[in-house]
Amino acid sequence: MRKPVHAAFAALAVLVASGSAMAKEGSGGMPQLDYHSFAPQLVWLAIAFLALYLVMSRLAVPAISDTLAKRQGKIQGDLDAAEKANEETRALVQAYEKRMADSREDARKVVRDRSEADSAAAAARLAALHDKLNQQIGEAEKRIAKQRDDVMAGLETMAKDIGQEVYAKLAGQPADQAALSAKIAAAAKGGR
Amino acid sequence: MHSPMEQFEIKRLLHLNLFGIDASFTNSSTWMIIAVILATAVFVWGMRERALVPGRLQSVAELGYEFIAGMVRDNVGDGGKKYFPFILTLFIFILFCNVLGMVPYSFTPTSHIVVTFAMAAFVFVGVTIIGFAKHGLHFLSLFVPKGVPFALLLLLVPIEIISYFIRPFSLSIRLFANMLAGHTMLKVFGGFVVMLGIIGGWAPLAFIVVFTGLELLIAFLQAYVFAILTCLYLNDAVHLH
Repeated sequence: MRKPVHAAFAALAVLVASGSAMAKEGSGGMPQLDYHSFAPQLVWLAIAFLALYLVMSRLAVPAISDTLAKRQGKIQGDLDAAEKANEETRALVQAYEKRMADSREDARKVVRDRSEADSAAAAARLAALHDKLNQQIGEAEKRIAKQRDDVMAGLETMAKDIGQEVYAKLAGQPADQAALSAKIAAAAKGGR
Repeated sequence: MHSPMEQFEIKRLLHLNLFGIDASFTNSSTWMIIAVILATAVFVWGMRERALVPGRLQSVAELGYEFIAGMVRDNVGDGGKKYFPFILTLFIFILFCNVLGMVPYSFTPTSHIVVTFAMAAFVFVGVTIIGFAKHGLHFLSLFVPKGVPFALLLLLVPIEIISYFIRPFSLSIRLFANMLAGHTMLKVFGGFVVMLGIIGGWAPLAFIVVFTGLELLIAFLQAYVFAILTCLYLNDAVHLH
Protein backbone atom coordinates (compact mmCIF):
# COMPACT_ATOMS: atom_id res chain seq x y z
CA MET A 1 0.00 0.00 0.00
CA ARG A 2 2.92 2.33 0.74
CA LYS A 3 4.25 2.42 -2.78
CA PRO A 4 1.04 3.61 -4.46
CA VAL A 5 0.68 6.32 -1.82
CA HIS A 6 4.18 7.60 -2.50
CA ALA A 7 3.54 7.30 -6.19
CA ALA A 8 0.35 9.29 -5.82
CA PHE A 9 2.25 12.11 -4.18
CA ALA A 10 4.84 11.97 -6.92
CA ALA A 11 2.14 12.09 -9.53
CA LEU A 12 0.49 15.01 -7.81
CA ALA A 13 3.77 16.89 -7.76
CA VAL A 14 4.38 16.22 -11.43
CA LEU A 15 0.80 17.19 -12.19
CA VAL A 16 1.07 20.50 -10.40
CA ALA A 17 4.44 21.19 -11.98
CA SER A 18 3.28 20.40 -15.47
CA GLY A 19 0.06 22.32 -14.94
CA SER A 20 1.95 25.45 -13.94
CA ALA A 21 4.45 24.90 -16.74
CA MET A 22 1.63 24.65 -19.26
CA ALA A 23 -0.01 27.70 -17.78
CA LYS A 24 3.22 29.60 -18.39
CA GLU A 25 3.33 28.34 -21.96
CA GLY A 26 -0.22 29.59 -22.31
CA SER A 27 -1.72 26.28 -23.41
CA GLY A 28 -4.34 26.37 -20.63
CA GLY A 29 -3.32 23.84 -17.97
CA MET A 30 -5.66 20.94 -17.38
CA PRO A 31 -7.58 20.03 -20.53
CA GLN A 32 -10.50 19.22 -18.23
CA LEU A 33 -10.88 22.93 -17.45
CA ASP A 34 -10.93 24.08 -21.05
CA TYR A 35 -14.54 25.17 -21.31
CA HIS A 36 -14.34 25.32 -25.11
CA SER A 37 -14.35 21.53 -25.10
CA PHE A 38 -17.43 21.25 -22.88
CA ALA A 39 -20.09 21.63 -25.55
CA PRO A 40 -18.88 18.89 -27.92
CA GLN A 41 -18.36 16.49 -25.01
CA LEU A 42 -21.83 17.15 -23.64
CA VAL A 43 -23.48 16.84 -27.05
CA TRP A 44 -21.79 13.54 -27.76
CA LEU A 45 -22.34 12.29 -24.23
CA ALA A 46 -26.05 12.93 -24.70
CA ILE A 47 -26.05 11.19 -28.09
CA ALA A 48 -24.03 8.19 -26.92
CA PHE A 49 -25.88 7.80 -23.65
CA LEU A 50 -29.29 8.12 -25.25
CA ALA A 51 -28.30 5.61 -27.93
CA LEU A 52 -27.10 3.14 -25.33
CA TYR A 53 -30.20 3.74 -23.22
CA LEU A 54 -32.45 2.99 -26.18
CA VAL A 55 -30.47 -0.11 -27.06
CA MET A 56 -30.59 -1.31 -23.46
CA SER A 57 -34.22 -0.55 -22.68
CA ARG A 58 -35.66 -1.61 -26.05
CA LEU A 59 -33.48 -4.55 -27.03
CA ALA A 60 -31.17 -5.84 -24.33
CA VAL A 61 -33.34 -5.72 -21.21
CA PRO A 62 -36.41 -7.40 -22.81
CA ALA A 63 -34.19 -10.02 -24.46
CA ILE A 64 -32.38 -10.85 -21.23
CA SER A 65 -35.45 -10.77 -18.99
CA ASP A 66 -37.32 -12.98 -21.50
CA THR A 67 -34.46 -15.44 -21.55
CA LEU A 68 -34.15 -15.47 -17.78
CA ALA A 69 -37.92 -15.92 -17.39
CA LYS A 70 -37.90 -18.70 -19.97
CA ARG A 71 -35.03 -20.42 -18.19
CA GLN A 72 -36.72 -19.99 -14.82
CA GLY A 73 -39.94 -21.39 -16.28
CA LYS A 74 -38.10 -24.33 -17.79
CA ILE A 75 -36.33 -25.09 -14.53
CA GLN A 76 -39.56 -24.74 -12.56
CA GLY A 77 -41.40 -26.94 -15.05
CA ASP A 78 -38.70 -29.59 -14.82
CA LEU A 79 -38.76 -29.41 -11.04
CA ASP A 80 -42.55 -29.73 -11.04
CA ALA A 81 -42.39 -32.70 -13.41
CA ALA A 82 -39.75 -34.30 -11.24
CA GLU A 83 -41.85 -33.69 -8.15
CA LYS A 84 -44.88 -35.18 -9.87
CA ALA A 85 -42.94 -38.21 -11.02
CA ASN A 86 -41.61 -38.57 -7.52
CA GLU A 87 -45.12 -38.48 -6.09
CA GLU A 88 -46.33 -41.00 -8.64
CA THR A 89 -43.47 -43.29 -7.72
CA ARG A 90 -44.29 -42.91 -4.07
CA ALA A 91 -47.95 -43.77 -4.76
CA LEU A 92 -46.86 -46.79 -6.78
CA VAL A 93 -44.57 -47.94 -4.02
CA GLN A 94 -47.37 -47.47 -1.50
CA ALA A 95 -49.81 -49.45 -3.65
CA TYR A 96 -47.19 -52.17 -4.10
CA GLU A 97 -46.57 -52.32 -0.38
CA LYS A 98 -50.28 -52.50 0.33
CA ARG A 99 -50.66 -55.31 -2.20
CA MET A 100 -47.74 -57.09 -0.61
CA ALA A 101 -49.22 -56.73 2.87
CA ASP A 102 -52.64 -57.88 1.65
CA SER A 103 -51.28 -60.95 -0.07
CA ARG A 104 -49.13 -61.76 2.92
CA GLU A 105 -52.25 -61.55 5.11
CA ASP A 106 -54.18 -63.68 2.64
CA ALA A 107 -51.46 -66.28 2.57
CA ARG A 108 -51.35 -66.38 6.35
CA LYS A 109 -55.13 -66.81 6.46
CA VAL A 110 -55.05 -69.64 3.93
CA VAL A 111 -52.35 -71.40 5.89
CA ARG A 112 -54.24 -70.95 9.15
CA ASP A 113 -57.55 -72.16 7.71
CA ARG A 114 -55.83 -75.08 6.12
CA SER A 115 -54.04 -76.15 9.26
CA GLU A 116 -57.22 -75.81 11.33
CA ALA A 117 -59.12 -78.00 8.87
CA ASP A 118 -56.26 -80.48 8.85
CA SER A 119 -56.07 -80.75 12.61
CA ALA A 120 -59.87 -81.14 12.91
CA ALA A 121 -59.82 -83.97 10.37
CA ALA A 122 -56.91 -85.60 12.15
CA ALA A 123 -58.71 -85.37 15.48
CA ALA A 124 -61.82 -86.91 13.90
CA ARG A 125 -59.79 -89.70 12.37
CA LEU A 126 -58.03 -90.27 15.66
CA ALA A 127 -61.35 -90.45 17.51
CA ALA A 128 -62.73 -92.89 14.96
CA LEU A 129 -59.66 -95.05 15.26
CA HIS A 130 -59.89 -94.87 19.02
CA ASP A 131 -63.53 -95.99 18.94
CA LYS A 132 -62.74 -98.80 16.55
CA LEU A 133 -59.85 -99.96 18.72
CA ASN A 134 -61.99 -99.76 21.85
CA GLN A 135 -64.69 -101.80 20.13
CA GLN A 136 -62.17 -104.40 18.98
CA ILE A 137 -60.70 -104.54 22.47
CA GLY A 138 -64.21 -105.02 23.90
CA GLU A 139 -64.98 -107.81 21.43
CA ALA A 140 -61.69 -109.48 22.12
CA GLU A 141 -62.32 -109.36 25.87
CA LYS A 142 -65.81 -110.85 25.40
CA ARG A 143 -64.40 -113.58 23.23
CA ILE A 144 -61.68 -114.31 25.76
CA ALA A 145 -64.22 -114.40 28.60
CA LYS A 146 -66.46 -116.78 26.64
CA GLN A 147 -63.56 -119.04 25.82
CA ARG A 148 -62.52 -119.06 29.45
CA ASP A 149 -66.09 -119.93 30.52
CA ASP A 150 -66.16 -122.70 27.93
CA VAL A 151 -62.83 -123.98 29.13
CA MET A 152 -63.99 -123.78 32.74
CA ALA A 153 -67.27 -125.55 31.89
CA GLY A 154 -65.38 -128.27 30.02
CA LEU A 155 -62.99 -128.54 32.96
CA GLU A 156 -65.93 -129.02 35.41
CA THR A 157 -67.55 -131.68 33.25
CA MET A 158 -64.23 -133.43 32.90
CA ALA A 159 -63.61 -133.15 36.65
CA LYS A 160 -67.14 -134.56 37.38
CA ASP A 161 -66.57 -137.47 35.03
CA ILE A 162 -63.17 -138.18 36.52
CA GLY A 163 -64.58 -137.79 40.08
CA GLN A 164 -67.44 -140.26 39.31
CA GLU A 165 -65.13 -142.79 37.85
CA VAL A 166 -62.70 -142.44 40.75
CA TYR A 167 -65.53 -142.70 43.29
CA ALA A 168 -67.08 -145.68 41.55
CA LYS A 169 -63.76 -147.49 41.48
CA LEU A 170 -63.00 -146.73 45.16
CA ALA A 171 -66.48 -147.13 46.66
CA GLY A 172 -67.93 -149.61 44.18
CA GLN A 173 -71.07 -147.70 43.88
CA PRO A 174 -72.07 -144.63 41.78
CA ALA A 175 -71.45 -141.33 43.44
CA ASP A 176 -74.06 -138.91 44.52
CA GLN A 177 -74.30 -136.72 41.47
CA ALA A 178 -75.50 -133.55 43.21
CA ALA A 179 -72.91 -133.62 46.02
CA LEU A 180 -70.09 -134.19 43.53
CA SER A 181 -71.12 -131.36 41.32
CA ALA A 182 -71.24 -129.01 44.30
CA LYS A 183 -67.79 -130.14 45.47
CA ILE A 184 -66.26 -129.62 41.99
CA ALA A 185 -67.87 -126.20 41.55
CA ALA A 186 -66.44 -125.14 44.92
CA ALA A 187 -63.02 -126.40 43.94
CA ALA A 188 -63.19 -124.64 40.59
CA LYS A 189 -63.91 -121.42 42.43
CA GLY A 190 -60.66 -121.84 44.34
CA GLY A 191 -62.16 -123.36 47.50
CA ARG A 192 -61.38 -126.84 48.74
CA MET B 1 9.02 14.94 -22.40
CA HIS B 2 5.30 15.08 -22.99
CA SER B 3 3.12 16.41 -20.23
CA PRO B 4 1.15 13.67 -18.44
CA MET B 5 -1.93 15.82 -18.99
CA GLU B 6 -1.58 15.75 -22.75
CA GLN B 7 -3.48 12.47 -22.91
CA PHE B 8 -6.61 14.27 -21.70
CA GLU B 9 -6.63 16.83 -24.47
CA ILE B 10 -9.79 16.99 -26.52
CA LYS B 11 -8.95 16.80 -30.21
CA ARG B 12 -11.59 17.78 -32.70
CA LEU B 13 -11.59 15.23 -35.47
CA LEU B 14 -14.58 16.63 -37.34
CA HIS B 15 -15.80 20.16 -36.93
CA LEU B 16 -19.56 20.21 -36.55
CA ASN B 17 -21.97 22.93 -35.55
CA LEU B 18 -25.42 22.10 -34.28
CA PHE B 19 -27.74 25.14 -34.01
CA GLY B 20 -24.85 27.33 -33.02
CA ILE B 21 -23.47 24.79 -30.54
CA ASP B 22 -20.03 23.32 -31.06
CA ALA B 23 -20.86 19.66 -31.61
CA SER B 24 -17.53 18.64 -33.08
CA PHE B 25 -16.76 14.95 -33.22
CA THR B 26 -13.76 14.57 -30.94
CA ASN B 27 -11.51 11.82 -29.67
CA SER B 28 -13.77 11.71 -26.60
CA SER B 29 -16.82 11.22 -28.84
CA THR B 30 -15.01 8.45 -30.71
CA TRP B 31 -14.44 6.42 -27.56
CA MET B 32 -17.96 7.08 -26.28
CA ILE B 33 -19.31 5.70 -29.54
CA ILE B 34 -16.92 2.74 -29.43
CA ALA B 35 -18.12 2.04 -25.87
CA VAL B 36 -21.75 2.15 -27.05
CA ILE B 37 -21.01 -0.12 -29.99
CA LEU B 38 -19.14 -2.67 -27.86
CA ALA B 39 -21.83 -2.61 -25.17
CA THR B 40 -24.45 -3.12 -27.89
CA ALA B 41 -22.38 -6.00 -29.26
CA VAL B 42 -22.29 -7.72 -25.89
CA PHE B 43 -25.89 -7.06 -24.92
CA VAL B 44 -27.70 -7.38 -28.25
CA TRP B 45 -25.47 -9.46 -30.50
CA GLY B 46 -24.42 -11.58 -27.52
CA MET B 47 -28.08 -12.22 -26.68
CA ARG B 48 -29.11 -13.01 -30.28
CA GLU B 49 -29.66 -16.72 -29.60
CA ARG B 50 -31.52 -16.22 -26.32
CA ALA B 51 -30.30 -19.68 -25.45
CA LEU B 52 -31.58 -21.50 -22.38
CA VAL B 53 -28.01 -22.59 -21.75
CA PRO B 54 -26.04 -19.42 -22.43
CA GLY B 55 -22.82 -19.20 -24.40
CA ARG B 56 -19.87 -17.09 -23.33
CA LEU B 57 -21.02 -13.67 -24.52
CA GLN B 58 -24.60 -14.30 -23.42
CA SER B 59 -23.30 -15.23 -19.97
CA VAL B 60 -21.49 -11.90 -19.82
CA ALA B 61 -24.63 -10.01 -20.82
CA GLU B 62 -26.75 -11.94 -18.29
CA LEU B 63 -24.11 -11.44 -15.61
CA GLY B 64 -24.16 -7.67 -16.14
CA TYR B 65 -27.95 -7.66 -16.17
CA GLU B 66 -28.29 -9.72 -13.01
CA PHE B 67 -25.56 -7.79 -11.25
CA ILE B 68 -27.39 -4.49 -11.73
CA ALA B 69 -30.83 -6.05 -11.31
CA GLY B 70 -29.72 -7.41 -7.93
CA MET B 71 -28.25 -4.04 -7.00
CA VAL B 72 -31.47 -2.21 -7.86
CA ARG B 73 -33.60 -4.85 -6.10
CA ASP B 74 -31.49 -4.77 -2.93
CA ASN B 75 -31.10 -1.00 -2.72
CA VAL B 76 -34.32 0.38 -4.13
CA GLY B 77 -36.74 -2.54 -3.99
CA ASP B 78 -39.65 -3.11 -6.34
CA GLY B 79 -40.16 0.64 -6.76
CA GLY B 80 -36.86 0.77 -8.62
CA LYS B 81 -37.83 -1.56 -11.47
CA LYS B 82 -38.83 1.36 -13.69
CA TYR B 83 -35.37 2.88 -13.40
CA PHE B 84 -33.47 -0.35 -13.91
CA PRO B 85 -32.72 0.21 -17.63
CA PHE B 86 -31.33 3.64 -16.83
CA ILE B 87 -29.06 2.37 -14.07
CA LEU B 88 -27.94 -0.53 -16.24
CA THR B 89 -27.11 1.93 -19.02
CA LEU B 90 -25.28 4.17 -16.59
CA PHE B 91 -23.20 1.32 -15.21
CA ILE B 92 -22.40 -0.21 -18.59
CA PHE B 93 -21.57 3.15 -20.16
CA ILE B 94 -19.19 4.16 -17.37
CA LEU B 95 -17.70 0.68 -17.16
CA PHE B 96 -17.01 0.50 -20.90
CA CYS B 97 -15.62 4.07 -21.01
CA ASN B 98 -13.37 3.34 -18.03
CA VAL B 99 -12.12 -0.02 -19.26
CA LEU B 100 -11.64 1.13 -22.85
CA GLY B 101 -9.60 4.01 -21.42
CA MET B 102 -7.07 1.39 -20.34
CA VAL B 103 -6.34 0.53 -23.96
CA PRO B 104 -3.08 2.26 -24.95
CA TYR B 105 -3.55 5.39 -27.10
CA SER B 106 -7.27 5.40 -26.33
CA PHE B 107 -9.15 8.20 -24.63
CA THR B 108 -11.12 8.02 -21.41
CA PRO B 109 -14.28 10.15 -21.68
CA THR B 110 -14.92 9.69 -17.96
CA SER B 111 -11.65 11.42 -17.13
CA HIS B 112 -13.34 14.73 -17.94
CA ILE B 113 -15.22 16.43 -15.14
CA VAL B 114 -17.79 17.84 -17.55
CA VAL B 115 -18.84 14.34 -18.62
CA THR B 116 -19.03 12.88 -15.13
CA PHE B 117 -20.69 15.99 -13.79
CA ALA B 118 -23.29 15.91 -16.54
CA MET B 119 -24.18 12.34 -15.59
CA ALA B 120 -24.14 13.08 -11.87
CA ALA B 121 -26.24 16.22 -12.35
CA PHE B 122 -28.71 14.27 -14.49
CA VAL B 123 -29.00 11.67 -11.74
CA PHE B 124 -29.32 14.35 -9.07
CA VAL B 125 -31.99 16.34 -10.92
CA GLY B 126 -33.83 13.18 -11.95
CA VAL B 127 -33.85 11.80 -8.42
CA THR B 128 -35.04 15.12 -7.02
CA ILE B 129 -37.86 15.29 -9.59
CA ILE B 130 -38.86 11.68 -8.80
CA GLY B 131 -38.87 12.52 -5.09
CA PHE B 132 -41.11 15.53 -5.49
CA ALA B 133 -43.36 13.76 -7.99
CA LYS B 134 -43.81 10.80 -5.62
CA HIS B 135 -44.14 12.60 -2.30
CA GLY B 136 -44.83 16.24 -3.13
CA LEU B 137 -43.56 18.65 -0.50
CA HIS B 138 -43.37 15.73 1.91
CA PHE B 139 -40.12 14.90 0.11
CA LEU B 140 -38.54 17.71 2.14
CA SER B 141 -38.84 15.48 5.22
CA LEU B 142 -35.76 13.78 3.77
CA PHE B 143 -33.82 16.65 5.32
CA VAL B 144 -35.31 16.07 8.79
CA PRO B 145 -33.84 13.01 10.50
CA LYS B 146 -36.38 11.10 12.57
CA GLY B 147 -36.28 10.89 16.38
CA VAL B 148 -33.91 13.82 16.87
CA PRO B 149 -34.54 16.54 19.49
CA PHE B 150 -35.55 19.90 18.09
CA ALA B 151 -32.38 21.68 19.21
CA LEU B 152 -30.26 19.22 17.26
CA LEU B 153 -32.49 19.62 14.21
CA LEU B 154 -31.32 23.20 13.91
CA LEU B 155 -27.88 21.79 13.35
CA LEU B 156 -28.77 18.64 11.45
CA VAL B 157 -31.16 20.02 8.86
CA PRO B 158 -28.58 22.37 7.29
CA ILE B 159 -26.07 19.51 7.28
CA GLU B 160 -28.58 17.23 5.58
CA ILE B 161 -29.37 19.89 3.00
CA ILE B 162 -25.69 20.52 2.29
CA SER B 163 -24.97 16.82 2.04
CA TYR B 164 -27.87 16.47 -0.36
CA PHE B 165 -26.66 19.22 -2.66
CA ILE B 166 -23.10 18.00 -2.48
CA ARG B 167 -24.13 14.67 -3.99
CA PRO B 168 -23.67 15.58 -7.68
CA PHE B 169 -20.22 16.98 -6.93
CA SER B 170 -19.00 14.06 -4.87
CA LEU B 171 -20.46 11.63 -7.37
CA SER B 172 -18.84 13.28 -10.39
CA ILE B 173 -15.52 14.22 -8.81
CA ARG B 174 -15.02 10.71 -7.41
CA LEU B 175 -15.20 9.16 -10.87
CA PHE B 176 -13.34 11.92 -12.65
CA ALA B 177 -10.54 12.12 -10.08
CA ASN B 178 -10.03 8.37 -10.05
CA MET B 179 -9.71 8.25 -13.81
CA LEU B 180 -7.53 11.35 -13.95
CA ALA B 181 -5.19 10.21 -11.19
CA GLY B 182 -4.84 6.68 -12.50
CA HIS B 183 -4.08 7.69 -16.05
CA THR B 184 -1.79 10.50 -14.98
CA MET B 185 0.14 8.16 -12.73
CA LEU B 186 0.52 5.59 -15.52
CA LYS B 187 1.78 8.34 -17.80
CA VAL B 188 4.20 9.69 -15.18
CA PHE B 189 5.65 6.25 -14.58
CA GLY B 190 5.81 5.73 -18.32
CA GLY B 191 7.93 8.88 -18.40
CA PHE B 192 10.13 7.43 -15.66
CA VAL B 193 10.71 4.33 -17.77
CA VAL B 194 11.98 6.52 -20.62
CA MET B 195 14.04 8.74 -18.31
CA LEU B 196 15.76 5.87 -16.49
CA GLY B 197 16.33 4.01 -19.73
CA ILE B 198 17.27 0.41 -20.17
CA ILE B 199 19.24 0.25 -16.91
CA GLY B 200 16.81 1.62 -14.32
CA GLY B 201 13.58 1.67 -16.29
CA TRP B 202 12.53 -1.81 -15.27
CA ALA B 203 11.34 -0.79 -11.81
CA PRO B 204 8.76 1.78 -13.02
CA LEU B 205 7.83 -0.61 -15.83
CA ALA B 206 7.08 -3.36 -13.31
CA PHE B 207 5.08 -0.86 -11.31
CA ILE B 208 3.09 0.08 -14.42
CA VAL B 209 2.23 -3.59 -14.99
CA VAL B 210 0.95 -3.99 -11.45
CA PHE B 211 -0.75 -0.61 -11.46
CA THR B 212 -2.54 -1.41 -14.73
CA GLY B 213 -4.20 -4.31 -12.94
CA LEU B 214 -5.21 -2.01 -10.10
CA GLU B 215 -6.52 0.53 -12.63
CA LEU B 216 -8.70 -2.15 -14.24
CA LEU B 217 -10.11 -2.89 -10.80
CA ILE B 218 -10.70 0.82 -10.24
CA ALA B 219 -12.33 1.13 -13.66
CA PHE B 220 -14.87 -1.47 -12.60
CA LEU B 221 -15.13 -0.25 -9.03
CA GLN B 222 -15.89 3.35 -9.99
CA ALA B 223 -18.61 2.29 -12.39
CA TYR B 224 -20.03 0.13 -9.58
CA VAL B 225 -19.81 2.97 -7.06
CA PHE B 226 -21.51 5.39 -9.44
CA ALA B 227 -24.33 2.92 -10.06
CA ILE B 228 -24.82 1.95 -6.44
CA LEU B 229 -24.83 5.56 -5.24
CA THR B 230 -27.41 6.33 -7.91
CA CYS B 231 -29.45 3.44 -6.49
CA LEU B 232 -29.12 4.79 -2.95
CA TYR B 233 -30.18 8.29 -4.04
CA LEU B 234 -33.07 6.77 -5.93
CA ASN B 235 -34.02 4.81 -2.84
CA ASP B 236 -34.14 8.06 -0.85
CA ALA B 237 -36.45 9.56 -3.46
CA VAL B 238 -38.70 6.51 -3.70
CA HIS B 239 -38.89 5.57 -0.02
CA LEU B 240 -37.83 8.69 1.91
CA HIS B 241 -35.28 6.74 4.01
